[in-house]
Amino acid sequence: MMDGRIDTDSIAAVPTGLIPGPVQSRLEKISTAKSWGNWAGYVSPLVLDTVEFEYFAIRNQTTLFDVSPMHKYRVTGPEAQAMLNRMVTRDIRKIKPGRVGYALWCDEEGMVIDDGTLFRFSETDFRLCCQESMHGWLLDAAWGFDVTIEDESHSIGGLSLQGPTSFSLLDAAGLSAVADMKPFDLREIEPGLWISRTGFTGDLGYELWTDWQKTGALWDRLWEQKQPWGLRAIGSQALDMVRIEAGFMAAKVDFQPVLRASRLGRGRSPLELGFDRLVDFTKGHFNGRRALLKQKESGLRHHLVKLEIGGFKPADGSLIYHRKKREVGHVTSAIWSPTAKRNIALAELKAPYGGEKINDLWAEVYVNEEGIWDKRLVPVTVVTDPFFKNDRARATPPRPF
Amino acid sequence: MSEKFDAIVIGAGHNGLSAAASLAARGKSVCVLERADHIGGMASDRMAHLLYNPLPRGVQAQTRKIDTVSMSPDGKHVVLRDGIASYASGEAHPDATDFKTLHDRLVTYAALLNSLAESAPPGLDQGLTSLAGLREMSRLAKLGIGVKRLGTPEMREFLRILLTNVYDLLLDEMPDGPLPGALASDAVRGAFAGPRSPGTVLTLMYRLRNGGSVSLPAGGMGTIANAYADAARKAGADIRCGVGVTGVIVEDDVVLGVTTSDGGQLLAPAVLSSAGPMQTMQMAGIPSFDIEAVRRARNLRAKGTTSKLNIALKGRPEFTGLTKEQAKSRLLIAPSVAEVERAFNPAKYGELPSAPSLEMVMPDGQDRLSVIVSHVPLDLKSGWTEKARGTLTETVIAAIEAYAPGLRDQIASTDLLTPADIAQLTGAPGGHWHHAEMGLDQMLTTRPTVGMARYRFGVRGLYLCGASAHPGGDVTGMPGRNSAAQVLLDGVA
Repeated sequence: MMDGRIDTDSIAAVPTGLIPGPVQSRLEKISTAKSWGNWAGYVSPLVLDTVEFEYFAIRNQTTLFDVSPMHKYRVTGPEAQAMLNRMVTRDIRKIKPGRVGYALWCDEEGMVIDDGTLFRFSETDFRLCCQESMHGWLLDAAWGFDVTIEDESHSIGGLSLQGPTSFSLLDAAGLSAVADMKPFDLREIEPGLWISRTGFTGDLGYELWTDWQKTGALWDRLWEQKQPWGLRAIGSQALDMVRIEAGFMAAKVDFQPVLRASRLGRGRSPLELGFDRLVDFTKGHFNGRRALLKQKESGLRHHLVKLEIGGFKPADGSLIYHRKKREVGHVTSAIWSPTAKRNIALAELKAPYGGEKINDLWAEVYVNEEGIWDKRLVPVTVVTDPFFKNDRARATPPRPF
Repeated sequence: MSEKFDAIVIGAGHNGLSAAASLAARGKSVCVLERADHIGGMASDRMAHLLYNPLPRGVQAQTRKIDTVSMSPDGKHVVLRDGIASYASGEAHPDATDFKTLHDRLVTYAALLNSLAESAPPGLDQGLTSLAGLREMSRLAKLGIGVKRLGTPEMREFLRILLTNVYDLLLDEMPDGPLPGALASDAVRGAFAGPRSPGTVLTLMYRLRNGGSVSLPAGGMGTIANAYADAARKAGADIRCGVGVTGVIVEDDVVLGVTTSDGGQLLAPAVLSSAGPMQTMQMAGIPSFDIEAVRRARNLRAKGTTSKLNIALKGRPEFTGLTKEQAKSRLLIAPSVAEVERAFNPAKYGELPSAPSLEMVMPDGQDRLSVIVSHVPLDLKSGWTEKARGTLTETVIAAIEAYAPGLRDQIASTDLLTPADIAQLTGAPGGHWHHAEMGLDQMLTTRPTVGMARYRFGVRGLYLCGASAHPGGDVTGMPGRNSAAQVLLDGVA
């Protein structure tokens, strides 16, 4: 401009804000709640209709959720197995081609960086799916190994079909070939379409993986079979309820991914998160092994536990007391479980509470009774089984319902 | 059947030999493996020529303290002896008093730091509840008390200059010229740094930590290496040359021994490596180490900048303005601090210096001029071609000839070692004199990197004992000695 200011109209517009995912146009059309969140930079529905409808659809019908924003990394090469086995805490040699395994990985101090699912396509070909951006870490972890790391986050789309009628819907959509797939099986059902019997709900369900560009068409193919299987698209809030019922922890909620935490001591080890069975000290060196061995000897600092809490008020964020006096931890996730009909939570307790000491624990909940706040100490029970458990999740072939 | 030892040392450089001597002196059976056909590593006549530190106990060799002469283009060369400066003609130097004050102050400060330099790096990781933790605390407290005892003004001065650059420090006290030029070149010799680089006061103090005098070993550096080897042999160590280590055998995160270039294997519960961190990791296998440790080793700053030119002479050259006796000193070409800085500039861009700063000596009884050329890049942009080698040799000869007319006619032959040659011949990472840059981020508890400072190297039984470990470079044998002490403390050998 004449006065020296920059004419902003002449500058090409730089797109800002969240990026639409592969099925966003479809979600826009069916969303009545217009409630959107940010998932790894993508627009992702929090709720599409109401959280109650969506929750009950997961447990009683079948539901569709776009998991494309998940970070996805392809690890291929003759030393892919060795490289990943040095990175994660479990022995991935036990995950055979055509199988999926849940895994955690740690920093050198044995603190969890992230958790995720490892898909094994062949002896030399893996995909790691996780919440945190992990490209830089994987490149570091791959140094010195004959492997290639490819970030597939923006080239592979994923749809999560979950619920008791999910198999019937796949069957109707011409994908009956999944019938004999057991939980954690992975198979290329059609050229370019991989299906795994996995999910974040603890229920019967599948995840379907295909090219980003083909994800929309895949959505449509499933959506066409909406009736009579009661298919409903859902948002992340309903999913959060069922993952708590299933007892699954969430990154940044129930533990802090250590590379993201800037304060000292915020990291947690897989042992502290209750994953002893996924830490294999006998498989050879893996990242953080020495620190974890040391921690095993010197004792854990915390225990992440599942709690059943008295009353019906969700105890999210509540402090936990021992003998109603000594503060020993706090709730990290909590809901009233409509299916279990129980008030449930995940909580982090300071050792030895939640470990050897599990009696006489109390949660402090605040209730608002028509404008008057009251504080109540309600009894807490540490439980070991998932709050929601149904053998339909494991039945092979799945029952039609 | 494989031979068994209590400890195996990789590399028969002075640090490897020093580690072997310390372990053998405690009754351990030690085998030193050296891939070259001779011992000594960088402590050889071809690579080095002077001692900046006293020899460790048990190493016997004749040395002679020599003066330093900083050459001046105007012929008014400056002679330095224990911080006292004068002109070579015997005339008093106008800045001698300021220089002496600064020199003595730096020597005092350096002596304080020396307590940290000589033993293992301080560490409080075991907390204060254990005896070891309290011992560590008392070491740090001693440094604190030492600093405090300087008195408030000196303590402030110490803390003020500690992390600054040597350019400002020197030129705050005196006008530029060969006198401050000498200290500036001492501060950066062997380093990828110029006098204006931060941390160069610290490297100068490191250089001055034993008073700052230099000694010429009688019979050359080779005799020093032999003295180290003799000390190790006398203690009972078995030194084998021409046998390289191809791998460190690791099982269940514990060292079992090494495989050798002759196809054999030797067993030992402790393996001490005087190679760099990355080379050592590769010998033991990258999967044996944590991802962060590998990343740090990859990013270790170790770009060698020092070349050695050995000039065989037909006679003794004469230096204009120096007597025959004075010419036997350590001769520096560092005409000013500014020129030392300028000499560093091309190295940043992978180019050769056109006016390099030089340190040279004529070893006693030999018709040979040994020249250390600073700021020669490891990764020369044009590559180390014959032409590039010729250019560097010619540049150095021309620079010396300016002070010693007729030198060229006395040259019988030359032998140039670039940083790349030194890396190839000795295995020193990047051909670096100190195996890893002596920067503040790579010293004491962070040498060579965070988490590796106490000689232990991930796998149980594996240790670093070379110059990349604390306290670092120079022919001191201390990294080796300290590493051996840690092995004994851990009870693995």
